[in-house]
Amino acid sequence: MAGTIVADTLTHSTAGSITTNYVVDGSAKAWVNFNGSGTIAARDSLNVSGLVDDAISDYTVNLSNAMANSNFAITDSSCYDSDVGGGAATGATESLPTSTTSFALHSGRSTSGGEYDNEYVYATIFGDLA
Amino acid sequence: MQTPDFKGTHLFSRLCWAKENLEPVQSDYRAVYEDSIDECAKILVPDPNWMACALQGGILPPVWVYWELAKDEAQPDFKKHTRGYLLHETEPMPAMTEEEAIEYLIMKDIPQSVWQNWDEGNRPKMVICKKEQLPQTRTWRNAWRISDELNLAA
Repeated sequence: MAGTIVADTLTHSTAGSITTNYVVDGSAKAWVNFNGSGTIAARDSLNVSGLVDDAISDYTVNLSNAMANSNFAITDSSCYDSDVGGGAATGATESLPTSTTSFALHSGRSTSGGEYDNEYVYATIFGDLA
Repeated sequence: MQTPDFKGTHLFSRLCWAKENLEPVQSDYRAVYEDSIDECAKILVPDPNWMACALQGGILPPVWVYWELAKDEAQPDFKKHTRGYLLHETEPMPAMTEEEAIEYLIMKDIPQSVWQNWDEGNRPKMVICKKEQLPQTRTWRNAWRISDELNLAA
C-alpha cells in the first residue's frame, strides 16, 4: 500500500522509545457499539461482520478478520438507557470467545436475576489476528 | 470511490481503509434461523461497515476461506491458525449486491447444518426477511419460533 512506513521502534524527542510491537500487539482488534433492544443493530464497529440476537440479553458478535486462536480477551459493558447512566439499571455483562471468529455476550442480568435487553452494549477485543 | 488493489494486503488493513473511506450501509435484511430444537429462533443482523465492504468489492475474502479456517479449528489438536494467510492473500470478492451479501453472510456466520438443508424436515430452519417483518416488540422473545405457515420461495 502507498504510504507504508516500516519501523521497529518509535522514538519520542524526550519521553523515550517503544517498539512498534507494543502498538501492534496492544491495539484493539475489534470493537462494536450496538443497540441490544428492539430490532438489534450496530451503531458503529470495526472488524465485525454481523450480530446475532440469540435471545433476551444474549448476543453473538461475528468477526471479519479471524483471531489467531480463541484465547483473546474481551472487555464489555452495557446500560439500559443513556438517561439512566452506564450500568445504573443493569448488572454485569458477561462474555466468552466461542471460536476464532465469534464471541458471545450476555448483558442485562439484574441483581434480582431477571433478564432484559440493554439499549447500549459495548465490546472490545484484544489478542492476535490470524 | 475506487477500491485500491488490495490483493496481498492484510484483511485488517483493508477493513481499516473501508472504515475511513466508505459510508456504512444499514441493511433491512435479516436471517432468522433455528439451530437447536431447545432454543428460540436467532436473528442474524449484518454489520453496516461490513455491508459497505461487501457492496464496494475488492475487500472481503471469498467465504470458502472461512470454511477452511473453521475446518482447521475443528481439529482436536488445534492451537492457533497457521493458514491465516488465506484471509489476506486470496483474491478478494468483487462487488456484491445486497442480496448476494446476505447469502455470503449466512454461509459465513450461520452454522452449515442450518443453511445447507434449511428447507428439509417438517418445517423451515431458516428464513430471510426484512426487519419490518419481525415482531415489533420483544415480548416473549425467548419463545420466538419460525412460523409454520410461511409461504417459502427459494
